[in-house]
Order: sequence, then C-alpha cells, then structure tokens
Amino acid sequence: MMASFLVIGYVFKVADTEGMWVAGRGIGNIENGMAIGANWMSAASYLGLAGLVALSGFYGLAFIVGWTTGYFVLLIFLAAQMRRFGKYTAPDFVADRFNSPMARALAAFTTLLIAYVYSVGQARGMGLVGQYVFGLDIIPMIVVMMTITVGYLALSGMLGATKNMAVQYVILIVAFLAGVYAVGFSQGYSTILPQIEYGALFSELSRQFSEPFQASSYYLWVATAFSLIFGTCGLPHVLVRFYTVQNERTARWSTVSGLFFIMLLYWAAPAMAAFGVDLFAVVNNISPDAVYNGEQAMSGAEGDVIVVLAAQFANLPTWFVGLVAAGGMAAAIATTAGLFITASSAVAHDIYSELINPDATQRQQVLIGRATIVVVGALVTVTAFNPPALIGELVAYAFSLAGTVLFPMFFLGLWWENTNRQGALAGMTTGLLLWIGSVVNSVLPAYVGFLADIAGGPGQAIVPIYAQYVPPIGAALVGTPLVFLVTIAVSLVTPEPPLETKKMVRQCHSPEPMGQQQTAEEIVSNSGGETPADD
Amino acid sequence: MTDNDTHDRVETDGGTASPAQAHQQTDYLNEEVNLLKPSTAFMRDHLRVVWTSFVIWALIVFGPVTLTAVAPGPMTQTMPLLGFPLHYFLVAFGAPTGALILAAVYARKRDALDEKYGIDHTTPEAGGDAGGDAGDATATDGGVEQ
Repeated sequence: MMASFLVIGYVFKVADTEGMWVAGRGIGNIENGMAIGANWMSAASYLGLAGLVALSGFYGLAFIVGWTTGYFVLLIFLAAQMRRFGKYTAPDFVADRFNSPMARALAAFTTLLIAYVYSVGQARGMGLVGQYVFGLDIIPMIVVMMTITVGYLALSGMLGATKNMAVQYVILIVAFLAGVYAVGFSQGYSTILPQIEYGALFSELSRQFSEPFQASSYYLWVATAFSLIFGTCGLPHVLVRFYTVQNERTARWSTVSGLFFIMLLYWAAPAMAAFGVDLFAVVNNISPDAVYNGEQAMSGAEGDVIVVLAAQFANLPTWFVGLVAAGGMAAAIATTAGLFITASSAVAHDIYSELINPDATQRQQVLIGRATIVVVGALVTVTAFNPPALIGELVAYAFSLAGTVLFPMFFLGLWWENTNRQGALAGMTTGLLLWIGSVVNSVLPAYVGFLADIAGGPGQAIVPIYAQYVPPIGAALVGTPLVFLVTIAVSLVTPEPPLETKKMVRQCHSPEPMGQQQTAEEIVSNSGGETPADD
Repeated sequence: MTDNDTHDRVETDGGTASPAQAHQQTDYLNEEVNLLKPSTAFMRDHLRVVWTSFVIWALIVFGPVTLTAVAPGPMTQTMPLLGFPLHYFLVAFGAPTGALILAAVYARKRDALDEKYGIDHTTPEAGGDAGGDAGDATATDGGVEQ
C-alpha cells in the first residue's frame, strides 16, 4: 500500500516537470475542462461525497446536486463575462469593479476565511486516509501530513500542486473510477455501468439510505443545495481557469466540458456509497438497518473514508486499495496547497501591501505570505483534530460563505452597472456578519465553554430559530437574497458609479470579440475620448 | 420586457436591417446593461436564451425534491427495471445530467447567436496582437460613421 503511494507521488512529480503542456498559449476547452475538474476534486468530492451519501442518505444528494448544477448558473451568467472583465481573483475583481481598497480588503478577508474552512475538510481527509494507510492515530497523522504540505509551501513559496492540471485530473478520476468498477464487478453488483446498476441494490439496503427527509428537513435540503450552487459561482478558483483560454467562446465550452468531467465522479459517487453501505453490513455481519443504528453503526470517520473502506471490504489487492487511498490523499494535498497560496496572496498582497503598508517591499510581502501559510496551517491542523462535521459538510460551510458574500458581488457587479462602492461594501459586510453569526451561533458552542453556557449545552445553538433558518451549511438561502437587497438598496440611495466603470460592465456584455490578453478596463480607457457621455 | 421606449434607436435599426448590420451599428459601450430591460438587440436575444434555460434549470434542480416533499407516496415508488426509488433517481442522476445537457444546449445557442449577428471568434488572436483593434472598432462604429 505504501509502495502504491510512492508510485502515485512519482507520477505526479513527472507530470509536474513535463514541459509540453505549458499553459498560457491558449488552452483548448477539453484540456481546460479537465483543469476545472482537477481544481474541483478536493477531498470533499473524492471522499466526502460518498461519505455523505452513505451516512445521510437522501440528504447527501443535496451535495451532488449543489456541486454540479451550479456550473450551469456560472455558465449562463458569469463565465464569458468574467473572461472579458479580465480579473480572476475575488479581491482583484471587487477592487477594480467598485474602485475601493476597502472592498478589496473585505473580499480578501472572505477569501482567507473560505481557504481556512475549506482546508479543515482537506486536513481531516488527509488524516483519515493516512490513519488508514499508515496505521497511525488520527492526530499525529494530521500533524504529519499538514507539516509536510505547509513546510513545502512555506519554504518553496511555489505552487505545490502540479502545474499540469489535466494530467492530475486523469490520475484522480482513474483512481476513483477504478475503485468503483472493481468493487462493483468483484462483488457482483455491477458490470459496465455501476452509475445506474446500483439501483438494483436499493431493495437490500436499509430504508434510511433512500427515505426522503430522514436526516434533514425539506428546508435544510433546499438551503444546502442552494448554498452549494451559488457558492460554486462565487468561488474564485473556478474563475481563475478562464484566464488561460483563448476567448470567451472557449470559456463557455470549457465550462461545459468541465461540468462533464466533474460528473464522471459525481455519477459514480452514490454507487460507491451504496456498495460501501451494503458491504459494511456484510463484513460486520449485521442487518442493513444496523448500519445506521445501534452499537455497530457506521461512524462519521468510517463514512468519510467509505470509498477506501469499500475497496478493502471487497478484498481487493492491497496495492489497489492503496491506489484508491492515494487518489484521495492527492486530491486533499493539491487542494490544500492551492488554498494556502490563495490565502497567502490575499493577506500579503490584498490586505498588507494595499491597506497596511503601501510601501511594502517584495521581500516583506513574501515574508508575510509565508507567515500566513504557517499560521493558517497551524489553525487548520488544530481545528481538524475535532471538526464539527463530516468532510463534505465542512467544505460546504465555505461554499455558503462564498455564495453569500462573493456571488452577489460578481453577479450584480457584472449585470447591473449601477452597483456602486457603497452598495458593495454594505452588501459584503452584511453577508460576512450573517455567516459569521451563523457559525458562532450553531458551531462554536460545541467548542467554547462560555458560549455553551449561554446556549444551555455544548450541542445547542444560542438562538435556535436562527440556527434553524440560517444554518452555517445553508446560510446562503437567506443570505444571498439579503445581500442582493442590501447592495441594491444602498446603491440606489447613493451616487451612481462613474461612467468609466459602467463602460467596463458594458464591455463585458458586448458580443464583440476581445483579444486574449485584453481586459475590459483597457478597452474602455482606449475608447474613452471618442464616445459621447449620454448618461 | 417588450417596451423599449427609451432605447428605440437600436430597435428601429433592427427592424429594417439584418441583425448583423444592427450589430455593426451598435456602440455597446454606450448602451446600458440591464438584466430586466435589455437595451440592444443582441442582449435581448441573449437574455431570452438565458432566462428560458434558467427556468428549466430551476425546475430540474428543485422540482423533484419539492414534489417529494409534497407527494412522498408517488415519488418514492420503485422504478421498473432500474430499481431506484423514483425521487432518488431524479435527484441523484436526473438533476446533474439535466444541468449538463442544458449547459451544452446553452453554449450551442449562444454560438448560433454569434453567427446570427456575424460575430467571429476565430479572429481575436489577430486583434489581440494589435492591442487596441477591437476597442477602436467598437468606439468608431457608433459615433463617427453616422
């Protein structure tokens, strides 16, 4: 098992140094779609998704729906427009669109929070898989894995993840699908289409696997799906992928092919969950219902690695189980590396050198960036020891934050030219307070003594009604419309943005093709003198 | 949605000339971007596609789960052949697949729109080299020639 780990690591290394795929000279939509898929596949997709479907049944499907169908909204409203705007990180976009360093700082702070929460899920995934493969306890395992990731990033300062995202995608999807097909075939569950054939298994599984609204109410289901959908549209690491494509047409089609490549995993994940749940009952010699209730019920930690467990229960060779596990580990490490780079640039560039110390030297920025990686890494490690939820749910917290704070800024910024600085600042502040309030209300009482005292118990929320309608995982269902309203209302009562800004927005929607290296801003400033101001 | 009284300049153009000509005569930098009241012929056509597909998307994504909440009985019945409970299949397989198909349909429709308005995406590489090319074109089209 260890050996297959090393082999996977070596393949990644080779893929990394391969020079023939170099980005920048116009990537086609298939390759870019694979890159979108690789960016997307964190431990939450690879491990967490099947875990959620296995443990939470029908509620787990809200995650499948949320993490796929959101791409359609991204495609019709944002992909090509973002490509034309020419800014691909949330702080850059917000700062340029709303002409405000303060807005940049708020977006950077949001990005930092997203990276932190998102990484906790990844660290948990690394720990669980590592514990499983190497046989260490979970806490030392998380520490070891995070130290390696953080140490590598902080020392090299370079992107730890492979530069060649298309190759990374292929490795991950092959590892995952090989697991599904091998388990399905060897156990007689399926032959060529496990994605559909697992339907035959439902009569043998506990009703809890498919019974609607057992693990959640209808409201929580919709709130979760809504948050994930609009979080997808607000998450900058998807948008960055439009930077390397030739033109907006390729941006559109790469969103389509990206969605297809993601769905190769998402179609198969519930099948793996069904196989895993069935095998869990067989191997432990318990009834299907006992998987969910009683002493031998599946634990959260077991659910989170059900993808790996299923391969082992099926008595597949050790090296093969290692391959499946290595895929999960690779997804977690690559995602963590990417998130930490984002966090360090948000702090060093967007907050420190833009707001605190405008004269910061390159050296100071690099130092601050590395310090950020170390501090966030330590925080993530400690939080992952005893996380408040399953991997998939932890990552979903980050999505609901992105959907509440960033999506309205992107959407209104690109589709309503009168959105102004005051509106954006008010909207983002509202969204941040709403989400932070929700986490403090529902999650923190389990950790912080005096909050638990107020709430009347560690498992309680401080304000139950707020926890019911604005749960951290589904905060965007209330939050996104609220932020829209606040932003629009404040924009209406304050002065309109300058014509220059409005023209930038118009340029994003003009059907006129643009060059690959051009941004809307450049085109507007080039043409500024000749056009009569009719507003 | 249909009354465009404040922006009838483009509207009358579009009536007599072909869409491609209307596109040539539109200065996109001087036309308001408004999601609910599109001001150019292109934007009107585009938004019709966007809103139609968005409504279908909303039905595919939130329809089955809502029906399951309203009528759990019929929705949880076992499907013949496949063996899935109906609601499970519609959500786990139907919604994501539906979104993928819709996405491809949208991208095709948008390509068709480009063709209708005579927009060619194969040339921007050349335009990109010359830097301001595209920008100059948009600027002069509206103001100088008329």
